[in-house]
Amino acid sequence: MKSAMIFRLLMLAGGLALALLPSFAQAAPPVERVFRIEASSFAYKPGQIQLNLGDRVTLELVSMDVVHGLYLDGYDLSLTADPGQTARLTFVADRAGSFRFRCNVTCGAMHPFMIGKLTVGPNHSFTLAAGLTISAIAIFLLIHPRRASQ
Amino acid sequence: MTRHELTRFPLIKALLKNRWPQLAVYAALLAGFIFAIFAGFVGSPVGNHNFSIVFVWIAWWAMLILAAVPFFGRGWCAVCPIPLPGEWLQRGAILELAPTGKGVSLGRRWPNPLRNIWMQNISFTLVALFSSVILTMPLITAVVLSAMFFLAIGSSMVFERRAFCRYLCPVGGFIGLYSQIAPLELRVKTTRACASCKEKPCYHGSEAGYGCPWQVFPGGLQKNSYCGLCMECLRTCPVDNIAVNLRPFSSDLATPTKRLDEAFKAFIMVGAALIYAGVLLGPWGALKDAAYRIGSGVWFAYVGVFLSVLFVLMPSLYALAVKAGMLLAKTSSAVRPAFAAMSAALVPLGLMFWVAFSLGFVFTNATYILAALSDPLGWGWNLFGTANIPWQPLFTGLLAPLQTLVLIAGMLWSAETAQKVASAAGVRPLPVIIYCLLATLVMLGLLL
Amino acid sequence: MKREILARILLLALCLVVVLIPLALRDRSLTLRARMPEDDGWSPQVIQAAAGQPLRLRLTSEDVTHGFAVGQMEMASVDVLPGVVSEVTLLFDEPGIYTFFCTRWCGLNHWRMRGTIEVSGGDAPALADAPLYVALGLDIDAPHPVPGVPSQIPSAARGGQLAEIVSLAEFSTPEYYRAHSPYQVYQDLVSTNLNAAERWDVVSYLWRSQTTAEGLAEGARLYAQNCAACHGETGGGDGVFADQLAASGQSSSQTMHGSMSARTPADFTDAQNMLGASPALLQGKLMRGGMGTGMPMWGVIFTEEQSWNIIAFLYSFQFQYQGVTR
Repeated sequence: MKSAMIFRLLMLAGGLALALLPSFAQAAPPVERVFRIEASSFAYKPGQIQLNLGDRVTLELVSMDVVHGLYLDGYDLSLTADPGQTARLTFVADRAGSFRFRCNVTCGAMHPFMIGKLTVGPNHSFTLAAGLTISAIAIFLLIHPRRASQ
Repeated sequence: MTRHELTRFPLIKALLKNRWPQLAVYAALLAGFIFAIFAGFVGSPVGNHNFSIVFVWIAWWAMLILAAVPFFGRGWCAVCPIPLPGEWLQRGAILELAPTGKGVSLGRRWPNPLRNIWMQNISFTLVALFSSVILTMPLITAVVLSAMFFLAIGSSMVFERRAFCRYLCPVGGFIGLYSQIAPLELRVKTTRACASCKEKPCYHGSEAGYGCPWQVFPGGLQKNSYCGLCMECLRTCPVDNIAVNLRPFSSDLATPTKRLDEAFKAFIMVGAALIYAGVLLGPWGALKDAAYRIGSGVWFAYVGVFLSVLFVLMPSLYALAVKAGMLLAKTSSAVRPAFAAMSAALVPLGLMFWVAFSLGFVFTNATYILAALSDPLGWGWNLFGTANIPWQPLFTGLLAPLQTLVLIAGMLWSAETAQKVASAAGVRPLPVIIYCLLATLVMLGLLL
Repeated sequence: MKREILARILLLALCLVVVLIPLALRDRSLTLRARMPEDDGWSPQVIQAAAGQPLRLRLTSEDVTHGFAVGQMEMASVDVLPGVVSEVTLLFDEPGIYTFFCTRWCGLNHWRMRGTIEVSGGDAPALADAPLYVALGLDIDAPHPVPGVPSQIPSAARGGQLAEIVSLAEFSTPEYYRAHSPYQVYQDLVSTNLNAAERWDVVSYLWRSQTTAEGLAEGARLYAQNCAACHGETGGGDGVFADQLAASGQSSSQTMHGSMSARTPADFTDAQNMLGASPALLQGKLMRGGMGTGMPMWGVIFTEEQSWNIIAFLYSFQFQYQGVTR
C-alpha cells in the first residue's frame, strides 16, 4: 500500500519534471542556419528539422517534380517553389515547440498530407503534453487509490 | 445517476414522433448524398475543390466525430439517408404506414453466424486500408459512397429490417461503439410495462409504426450500441413507455461488453487512429508513399503492419496487461471475458484519439469548405462569393494545446472507466491504465 | 395516401434537382484541361480559332499547378491551377498554326505538354527565314571543344577599358557576334597584340556589348522558368531533373542498343564547351532541340529576340559582367 503511494508520488514528480524542466534547460546559443528542403510529391526531405530558440534560419525550398509550397504553422510563413527556382525564406525562430509545415500548393491526391515538422528547442509541445498527461494520471490515482487497488 | 427525460417536453416529443421533420432531414441529406456522388463522378478530380471530398471527409467527418458521436451517439444514424431508398422499397412507403406485404423485400433473416459486428470491423478496416485514396480522390469517394448506397438497397431487398446499418456499415460500427459514451439515450421508462405488453409492437410493428428497423427490443435496451434512434418505437409503443433521456457521459460503459467483436472494434479504432496520426499527419514521406501506392510491394508491407498492429499487437499487449491485472488481483478465471470487459477502457480513449487526430486536419483544411461551398464541382462557379478564398490553416497555435487537453481527458476518462469495470471483471486496473497511458504518449508523440 | 405521394414527389424532385441544375448550368464553352504529360497533358490538344476573332478559353488543371501561354506571342503566362477555372481571351491577327504550352514545371516531361491552335482565315503568312545556323551551314551536333580556356574569368569591365585603346569595329557587329564562338574571336584578336588574358577580357566585353541589362534580365527570367530545372540554377547541368533525365536516358539507350546519346543536360559552366560555341550554334540547339537527348524544341515557343536574350544570358556563366551597367 505504502509502496503504491510512493510509486504514484514518484510518477507525479516525474510528470511535472518532464512538463516543466525543459523550459529551464540551457538553450544553445542562437546561430545562423540554412536548411535545404527538397519537396517532391508528397514528402519533404528532410521531413524533420531541429533548431534552437533564437536561431536565424534560412529555408531553401527546392521542388523536385512539380510546383510545391511550404506553410509553417505557428509562424504563419509561406513559400512557393517551381522546379528550377529555389525559394528562400529567412526568419528568426523565436517560438519554441514543434510546428508542422505543410504544402500549400495543390500537388496531387495526397497533397493535404504532405507534411513536415520543425522543432524549435527541445520539443516543448510534446514534453509539456506528456508531462501533464503523466501528472494527471498520477493525481487521478492519488485521488482514487481505493478503486485502483480493489 | 440522474437522467432527464427529454420526451417530457411536448414539443420535443411531437417533433420526434411526427414523421415529417425526420423525412425533411432525410430528404435534404439524401439530396446532399446524391450530390456528393454526382460531384465525385463528374466534378473536378482535384479533391480539395470537390464537394465529395470537402463535404464528406472534412465537413461531415468533423461534424460526426467532434459533435454528433460524442454528444448524440447514434444521432447521425437517426438521419443518415443511406438506408432510406432501401427502406422505402422494403416497406412500400416513406411517410405513411403501408399495409404489411406491400414492400418488395424477400424479408430473410440475417444469417446467425453474422449476427455480430465482425463484418463491420472488416468493412471499416478495408476502408481504412484504402483511406489514402478514398480521402483524397473524388472518384474513389463516389465509388465508395455508391457502393454503400447500393449495398444498403440490396440488403433491404434480401433481408428484413436495416441489415446494412446493423451489420455492414463501416461507419455504423464505430458510431455504435462510441455511442455508449454519449449523454443521450433511448430507453423504456419502466421495464414492467414492457413485461406485461403482449403484442410488443415496438419490435413487430403495428398500425402506428414499423417494428424496430435495428432489430432491437427496446424493453431490453442496456446500452446505445445498436439503437439507431430512429424513433419508430416512440411511435408504436401503446403505453407511451419510450423515453429519450439526457444522462451522464459514458453511462453504458458501467456494463461492459462480453463480446470479442465489440472488444476488437475498440482496438481497431485505437490502432487506426495511431496509424493515421503517424502516416497521414506525420513527417515521414516514405509512410505516406507506402499508404498511397496501392498494390505495390510497399503497400502490402503497409497493409501487413496495419493489420498486425490492429489485430495482433494492440490486442495481445492488452491481453498481457489484463493478465497482469488478474495476477495482481490474484484471480485465476479465464482471460477472455476479462479482456472483453476491460476493452471498455479503450472506448473513451479511442474516441478522444479520433477527436485529436481529426482536429489536426479539420482546422487546417476548413477553408476548403468555404471555397467548395461556392464552387462545389470545381467548375469555376462562385455561388456565394467564397470560391476564391485561399487555403489558410486556422487556429494553428491552438491545435497543440487543444490536442493535449483532449488526449489528457481521454486518458483520465479511460482510467476512470478501467477502474469502474475492473472489480466486476476480477482484475486490478493499473496495468490497463498504464497501457492507456503509453498509448496516449505515443499518440502525443505522433501528433506533436 | 395523398401525403405519401406528396412526400415521394418531394423526395425524388429534390434528388433530381441537385443533379439536373448543375448539369443545366454547366458552362459549355471551350474548356482546356491540363493534366501531367504522363496522363495525356492538354485536352483537347488541338483548338480551332479564326483570325481576328477573340478566342475565349476556360483553363483548369486536374492534378498539379500548370501554366498556359502561346508560343511566340506577347502574352503573360496564365496560371492553370488544380480545381480552379481561369479564363483567358486570345486574339490572333494572322492565320496559322500556333503552339500553346505549359509554363510551370510539372514533372520531367513537362516540356512535352504542348498543343496547337489552328487559326483559320485567309492565307498563312510566308514561312519565317531559315534559322541562322542553317544559313551558316553549322553542324550543331558536332562537338566543339576549345584547345585552351582562360586562366581567369574574363571580365567585361576590364575588356571595356581595353576596348578604348584597340580598334574593335570589325568584331562589334551583331552578325559577327552571332556567327563566331568566343574562342574564334579570341583567336581573331591576335592582331591586336593583346596578351591572352586581355584578349579574353575583350571577348567578354564584346559579348556583353551585344546585349543589354534588360536583355540579360529577360534571359535570366526565361532561363529560370524554362531551363534551370535541368541545366541547374547556376548553369552546372545539375538541375533537379538531371538525375531522372540521366536515368531515363540509360533505360532508353539500353532498349535502343546504345544508339541514344546520354541524356545529360549541358553544363554551361564548362568553358571547354561554351567558349567553342557560337551564338548561332547555341540558338540552333535551343530552337531545334536535342533530338532525343531530352532537350526540348523551343523554336515554336520563343521569339527570335527571346532566344538571343537567353543565349546572351548563357554566356554569363563564362564571363564576368559585373561592373557593366548598360
